[in-house]
Amino acid sequence: MAERPDTPKTAASRYGLLFVISLYCIMPFVWLLTAAFDPGAGLFLEVPAKVDLSNFFRVFQEEDGLLWLMNSLIVCGGATLLVLVLSGFGGYALSRTHAWWKRPFLYAIILVRVIPPTALIVPLYKVMLTCNLAIAGVVRSVVPPDYVRSVMRFVGFIDGYLGLILLLATMHLPLALWIMKTFFDSVSREYEEAAIMDGATFGQRLRRVLLPLAMPGLAASGLFAFIAAWGDFLFPLTFISSPELKMLPLGIYSAFLRDSQIDYGLLAAIAVIYTAPAIIAFALARRFLVQTFGGGLKG
Amino acid sequence: MSSITLTNIRKRFGALEVIKGVDISIADGEFAVFVGPSGCGKSTLLRMIAGLESISDGEFRLDGELMNDVSPDKRGLAMVFQSYALYPHMTVAENIGFSLDLKGVDKAEIKRRVGAVADKLQLGKLLDRKPQALSGGQRQRVAIGRAIIKEPKVILFDEPLSNLDAALRVQMRAELQELHRTTKSTIIYVTHDQVEAMTLADRIVVLSEGQVKQADHPIALYKQPDNLFVGQFIGSPKMNVFQARVEAVDDTSARIVTADGWTVALDSVKGLSAGETVQLGIRPEDLSLAEPSNADITVQAILSERLGMETYVSFQTKGEPAIARIAGDHRIGTGEQVPLKINRNACHLFDSTGRAIRRS
Repeated sequence: MAERPDTPKTAASRYGLLFVISLYCIMPFVWLLTAAFDPGAGLFLEVPAKVDLSNFFRVFQEEDGLLWLMNSLIVCGGATLLVLVLSGFGGYALSRTHAWWKRPFLYAIILVRVIPPTALIVPLYKVMLTCNLAIAGVVRSVVPPDYVRSVMRFVGFIDGYLGLILLLATMHLPLALWIMKTFFDSVSREYEEAAIMDGATFGQRLRRVLLPLAMPGLAASGLFAFIAAWGDFLFPLTFISSPELKMLPLGIYSAFLRDSQIDYGLLAAIAVIYTAPAIIAFALARRFLVQTFGGGLKG
Repeated sequence: MSSITLTNIRKRFGALEVIKGVDISIADGEFAVFVGPSGCGKSTLLRMIAGLESISDGEFRLDGELMNDVSPDKRGLAMVFQSYALYPHMTVAENIGFSLDLKGVDKAEIKRRVGAVADKLQLGKLLDRKPQALSGGQRQRVAIGRAIIKEPKVILFDEPLSNLDAALRVQMRAELQELHRTTKSTIIYVTHDQVEAMTLADRIVVLSEGQVKQADHPIALYKQPDNLFVGQFIGSPKMNVFQARVEAVDDTSARIVTADGWTVALDSVKGLSAGETVQLGIRPEDLSLAEPSNADITVQAILSERLGMETYVSFQTKGEPAIARIAGDHRIGTGEQVPLKINRNACHLFDSTGRAIRRS
């Protein structure tokens, strides 16, 4: 279809429409930001009478904001790290193997993503409870009674970091494995062979050739795993009960439920703090995601 | 000194044998080319020499030393890969110096040696670039640089020119010859392109189905192929083969009649008996345009391809269509009768199994 000449009228209506759509998309973020920096924020979007950081101070002083943030970072960071290591090695192995079970295995693991996590929550709780009892038994036998609770906070499967890290990593590993397997399919074996001919040991091949080559794939799978874990609400809600293990999404949730009078400024400040790491993760990964990868391959 | 001897080399993948007892010896400083159709095992053989594939059976000796179980980096070989496999995250200088860096060679020394190699390959200005910022020919040179910096006893090339366009390929062929002349290193080069093999090699090893069909100087292969396979593989367009029968023999000559009824009298043929079935091989360039009066055969053209300096004429036979390569430009229409003369001295004879019958 031939492009019609742009009369000022059609241009105006086109940009007008775009403006309305963008306004609609950006509105929640604008509301969030204004409310977060407005000490007197209410339910409706308004130009703040005063802009300051008091809402943020309250998150960290009156509430346990820092603790929630640290807990979220530990759990999601731990899960992402685990996903990266397992999907890096696993994806490589799945890409290079010719085993007959490769296809069935790949389709089987993706089922984990297909089933809604909520549907699994009861059996999962059963499994985690059993694991927790086993771990608790071990901990009790080696640690003095006074310290059992504090150790279990780290290694417990229920109300402990380890359980949640393993659970989140398991949920997000299949997609990461697929990404890494597909990624390594596109990495020529000749790179490794060239490194062998150059005299690189296994460790050197891994660190100096394969790892740099795998960075774009790892960035993608790590980003997806982190953002999915970071946004998860159901698992922290189900498996965490101690206040000292509370994570950011639970923090928002409890602040929202707590008072008869909803403190919108505080909620918005927590939400901004909650949003920031995901955006930072994206910004860090983006550099690798867009990195062109044509490199030493065919000219 | 770096000579290579392969004795009864075999490679099995499970029950499948892909290299079936290969004997090859390559002298010091020789440019050897493994050539053959795809799937003939030439790349596998090269990878076995490199150490990237294990040797199922037989012996590989480098300078007399058994290398079967020596790890690839200890063999003193370097390899240039088909894709070049330049590490995309390293600069040209880092790519070339990688093997030295792994060995823990001093940084200043690496820089000096990389500089020397880069000068030799005209890469001096490109040292800080990443591979993706290089042209195909430059990447090729970096891959060569990465090989020669190790001062290897033998350089292995696995179809290195197959990713380049035709013009660049001709240029790189010349550069490879120059490289061989200046470094005097032993080179083993794998290709499926027989023109590349002919122009580069001191010695061509023709492989088919995991076996050596013939190994000799290119011109010897061209002039005296041991068998029909080599005869047809070397030379372009390929040799025409006609099913034929020996009609009469005397002391030194034989009269051969082809399936099309063409009679060719050949001198210097021994050991044939009348009635025997043979295959007559005539290269396209040994058929020339003749006057109708003194033509050996007259054929019906199917197609003519005019290249300017020569004309390829395909013509009908009882077997597969054959080709004549006629000097000069001729306009020959489809279906036209073309009188041809056969260069009898250059005809090849093969027995029914495809083995060459030598003409003295």
